[in-house]
This record gives sequence, C-alpha cells and structure tokens, in this order.
Amino acid sequence: MTCSNIQERFVEYLTGQLSEKESEEIRAHVAECSDCRRELESLTEIWTKLGVLKEERPGDRLRTRFYSMLETYKLAEEEKIRKEREGLFSRLKNLWPRKPVFQFALTLGMLVLGLVIGNVWTVIPQQETVNTALADEVQTMRQTLAASLIDQGSASERLQGINMSYTLVDPDDKLLDKLLSTLNSDPSVNVRLAAVEALYLFHDHPKVKKGLIDSLSRQSSPMVQAALIDLMVSIRERRAVDALKSLLEQEDLNPEIKDRAEKGIQRLSF
Amino acid sequence: MESLSDSDIMENVRDGQVEKLAILFERHHVKIFNFFLRLTGSHDLSEDLVQDVFIRILKYRSSYEGKGRFTVWMYRVARNVHVDHLRKNKGTYNLEDQFEEPESEEDSPMHALEQKKDKELIQKALSQLPVKKREALILSRFQDMKYKEIAELFGCREGTIKASIHRAVKQLGEIYLELQGGVPS
Repeated sequence: MTCSNIQERFVEYLTGQLSEKESEEIRAHVAECSDCRRELESLTEIWTKLGVLKEERPGDRLRTRFYSMLETYKLAEEEKIRKEREGLFSRLKNLWPRKPVFQFALTLGMLVLGLVIGNVWTVIPQQETVNTALADEVQTMRQTLAASLIDQGSASERLQGINMSYTLVDPDDKLLDKLLSTLNSDPSVNVRLAAVEALYLFHDHPKVKKGLIDSLSRQSSPMVQAALIDLMVSIRERRAVDALKSLLEQEDLNPEIKDRAEKGIQRLSF
Repeated sequence: MESLSDSDIMENVRDGQVEKLAILFERHHVKIFNFFLRLTGSHDLSEDLVQDVFIRILKYRSSYEGKGRFTVWMYRVARNVHVDHLRKNKGTYNLEDQFEEPESEEDSPMHALEQKKDKELIQKALSQLPVKKREALILSRFQDMKYKEIAELFGCREGTIKASIHRAVKQLGEIYLELQGGVPS
C-alpha cells in the first residue's frame, strides 16, 4: 500500500471508522514510515485541537423564536385555507341571479328538485321491505305452529291452532288441508265450527270452496250444517245448490236445517 | 412507546401536520446550532441561521421526498442557508460579532484565558479554510456524519470526500501553525 493510500485513511482512523484490521495496517505502516508517522502526528494534533470547540447551548431566545414562528406559520396556513373556502363560497354566491324573477324561478326549481329527490329517495320503501320480510317470517312461524297445534290431542289445543290460522294472510296448502280434514272429521263440534269460520276467511281459494261444498254432505251435527249453509249463502256460492239439494234428501235431517237449506237454495238461485 | 423516525415525522409535517416540526426542532436544533457556530464562530449569527433553517424546512416541506436520512436533507438546507448568508454579506462575517465568547469562566482566570485563546485561534484557522472544506471537516469531526452521508449531501463520490477532508485537516494544521507563529503566546 502506498503512502498516499495510507494517508488518505488517516481521518477515518482518527474518527474510528476503520475496522480493527485496517487500523492495525495503519499502525504497522507508520511504525516503519517516518514521513507518514509525522503526517499522522500533525493531523492528530490539529484533530485533537478542534476539540476545544466544545458543543455549546444556544440561548433560550432561539426556542422562543422558533415556537412563535411555528405558531405564526400555522395561523397563516389556517387563514389560507379559510380564504380558499371563502373564495368557493363567493363563487357560489355569484351564481345567485340578480333579478327577483330569476331568483323566484331558481327557488321554485330547487323546491321541485327537492320534492322529486325526496320522493325517489324516501326511506319508507326500505322500511316496508324490512317489515315485509319480518311479516313473512312471522307468517311462516305461525303457520307451522298452527299446523302443529291442530295435530294435538286436546280439543282446546286444536282450537288454539285454528284460531291462530285466522291471523294468517296466505296459508299454505298443507294448513288448508289440515283445516278441511278437521272440518270433516274432528270429533269435537266446537273445533269443527271453528274450522268453518277459519275456512270462511280463505274461501277464495279454489280448494277451500270445493272442500266446503263436499263437506256439507258429511256433517252430521246440525250446528255445523247450519254454519256451512250460512257460509255458502254469504259467499254466494252457486255450485253449493246441488250439495244443498242432496242434503235435503237426507231422511233424518233436522227440520230447522231443512228450512235453512231450502231458504239457502232460494237465495243462491236468484 | 416506539419513537417515530425523523423521516416519518418530516413526512407528517409535509402532509400538513406542521406542529410536528417542534419534535424535529427539539431533536436537532442544538446540533445545527453548533454546526453554524463552528462554521461562523458567531453565537448570535448561528441562532439566526438555525431559525432560518426551520423557516425554510416549513417553506419547502412539500419537496421532502423521504429518501435517505432526514439529517442529510436538513444539512442540505443548512448549507444553503449558510451560503446565502455569505452571499448577502459578501463572504465576510461581522467582525465585531465573530469569535465572541458567550460565557467566561471566572473561577480560573489564567486557564480560562488560555482556553479562550486556543479557541479563538482554532476558530480563526477554521474560518480561513475554503467553505466547502470547512463544511466537510465540521460535518465529519463534530456532526457524526459518515463519509457516505457527506458524499450524498455534497453530491459527489465518497472517495472525493475522503481526500477532501484529509486535505482540509492538513491545511487547517498549516494555517494554525502560521497563526500561532504570528500570535505571541
């Protein structure tokens, strides 16, 4: 390694930036080379001498000045942002027409626009959607519960099931079948009567109409027969006339029912 | 709590949180003050220049790219502040202001006087070095800057800085000797 190569690394040597191996190279060289030794000695002297320039503390004034400068800058920045906003506002203000007629027209236009947006964007449909979904869920729940109650052993539970089916808007086929079979074969007269009332609500359903007419000939209880006849008359079901006629052919028919059936035939025939 | 790096904070300052500059001020103002003090020998002037550095950091905050060490960028601003000051004052410092001693050690008058003389002499020698050499030497000797960082700051190769600092120390020694010969001890 040449002397100039070595000398170039003296400052690094002094600042401790060299590795141990490199430092050893320098020491080995200066031990041999007197020129480089003198060079290193004079550099070391001045390098050390620079140490008298100790680190000093600036006055407190500097900190005070800095913070007031920062505060001023922040205020100026905020002012700038405020002015930009004001600029935007005044540009909007320039859009406002000077003539009262145009002012009125613009206001009216805004009102109409507001109404249109309000109409389109109303919250109510969203609420309705939610309500419908909820109602559907409740409906399904009630349907299941009603059907399972009708299957129960006790008459009061069966009645409860039928009562529950009153609250349904659109019962499914399964429940209607259950109500019809209850009407035809439930041992309790009260339950059968309740079934008549429940089925009256759903008489628009083709299956219900047919089931009600067919049921007329199967009933033995005068109370249920009377209820069915009244129902046929009130819904003006003309196809029930034949069923009523065949009812009249029954030998042991209650005279009251006979009378009611005849009147029913009359009313449905006109 | 892990403290944020200078660079992260400077990015915050750039993006609008200017009040965070206070953190950078607290971390670095003493170092920059001493950089100027060794460069100029003037206490008051160095305080003014430090203030200028932070004003410029705010003014040019949007140009901070976050590449490299923040200190390199900060010393670049500091160098520009110093160069502009020299230009304004036509390359001279206010002589009355220069080499002032802010505090005197009264307890040992003889020793204090000796130290004061030493300090004045080395400061005077320093001030006779060309600006670039002086800057590089101070950054290396006092400001904990590696050759690599000084090279980045000056925009030149590491080898150039190495040679330049070596020559600066050598030259400073010569000037010092000369001044010592001229000053009766």
